[in-house]
Amino acid sequence: MDLTNIQTAELLIDIFAAAILVTAFLIVSSRSLVFYIRLFALQSFFLGVVALLVVLGYGETHILIAAVLTIAIKAIAIPVVLTRVIERIHVQKEIRFSISITASLLLCGGIVILADSVAQSILRSPHADATAVSRVLSVSIAMMLIGLFIMMTRRKALTQIVGLLTMENGVFLSGLSITYGMPLIVEIGIFFDILVAVLILGVFVFRINKTFESISIDSLRSLRH
Amino acid sequence: MNAMLTVILPPLLQLLLVLAFAPLITGIIRKTKARLQRRRGASVVQPYFDLAKLLKKEVVVSPVASWLFHATPYIVFSSTLVIALLVPTLVTPVPLHWIGDIITVIYLFALGRFFLALAGLDTGSAFGGLGSSREMSIASIIEPAMMLAIFTAAVTAGSTNLSIIVDRLSSTPASMLNPAHLLAFAGLFIVTLAETGRVPVDNPATHLELTMIHEAMILEYSGRYLAFIEWASQMKLLLFLALMSNMFFPLGMATTWSPGALVLGCVAFVLKVTGLAIVVAVVESTNAKLRLFRVPELLMVAFILSLLALILYFIIGA
Repeated sequence: MDLTNIQTAELLIDIFAAAILVTAFLIVSSRSLVFYIRLFALQSFFLGVVALLVVLGYGETHILIAAVLTIAIKAIAIPVVLTRVIERIHVQKEIRFSISITASLLLCGGIVILADSVAQSILRSPHADATAVSRVLSVSIAMMLIGLFIMMTRRKALTQIVGLLTMENGVFLSGLSITYGMPLIVEIGIFFDILVAVLILGVFVFRINKTFESISIDSLRSLRH
Repeated sequence: MNAMLTVILPPLLQLLLVLAFAPLITGIIRKTKARLQRRRGASVVQPYFDLAKLLKKEVVVSPVASWLFHATPYIVFSSTLVIALLVPTLVTPVPLHWIGDIITVIYLFALGRFFLALAGLDTGSAFGGLGSSREMSIASIIEPAMMLAIFTAAVTAGSTNLSIIVDRLSSTPASMLNPAHLLAFAGLFIVTLAETGRVPVDNPATHLELTMIHEAMILEYSGRYLAFIEWASQMKLLLFLALMSNMFFPLGMATTWSPGALVLGCVAFVLKVTGLAIVVAVVESTNAKLRLFRVPELLMVAFILSLLALILYFIIGA
């Protein structure tokens, strides 16, 4: 299989973009914190593969470092940190929802349709410069919205982190699809930002758990009184 | 005379293949499961002996049962036979392609299920009613998922006719790998597990559990009637596997009734279906049966996968 062939690269990018979207849906459908983190690792790995395919297929070598960093930081380092946090705080590993799984899956299906209509109107605007991978723009917008949805409806501090990271994956993918990736210095900045954010949030979750003996965000409401 | 032969022979051949091969597939799945549990397991031809034994035994019918109870086994069996002529197995032109398309197949399956559910209620036993109500509530979620998965393949090919779907796909092999197609395949796989009563949804190996669905409906059946129903459900499994393998990956299918192409088609069909059957057995062995109230979540995943497939077809295009 010749990866530098444009058609092969296009087909593989389509497949992996679909796989990224499927992992987002599997995160929404899952009940266990451990699955959340494993699925997120898988999602980041697919994202890194898409970036690598853009490097190989379209000769955009400047994303190579960002692609490798995606796999190293988001698919390996962050999941390891989060898994360690879970191990240390011995929380109940089942997630509570404010919307049932079936309803949230249906809503997320609606989100994808919405995201596609938004993406189409962006691509149709006269200022838009369509790249070869702009087809995945709808997938990336859907990812951002699904990440937001996870943050809104899943009631554990750790699921909020996974939701945030899913949104960030969506942002990276949209950068990739509109402009073949942002400048390297920006990407590197974002990576360190995310890594540090996860470390701090991990410590936060640990502290929250110590204070409230739970990481359910419902108990945080009591801080207001 | 020769013209008669070419009209009658192909459907007959396909019918015989499905009838004869279906119990073997069930045997292969049971054997694989047994080996995965480190048991020796019954021989792969055991389902044939079971059917032969049941066909010889007398039928015991409850005195309160109506004509519906007697008619259902034949309705289920014959509707499955018609489906066997509508689903592509060896050769691309399906024998009965002038009767109907994929939607006919879906509704013929629904017809069999409808009568089974009625027969479950007919004898008035508590178990039967329980099984019927469960079967129908699960069916109400499976059917849209199945339709969407199949429509994705139909939209890609531009037709709901199974022969045309298979033809178009064989002529453009690259579209077999398009993401919409792969997702629809995954959706149809979960649908198959649910439709044929496999482990995450139902347990085909038990007769005495409160969680059973399909077995609860047919608990009152015995002898010849039970043999027909069992045989029909084995054929249903084979036909679903055939749909999955040929509608999505029609590699090696014969396009004419020449002996050479037929042999190749036969080998490809047996290999693909056996491979899928082993995958089903592995899924069954590595998963626990879901609680009944969790089943809709799994089926919703199948529905969403199929829906995503259809959406992705329009987003990314083929």
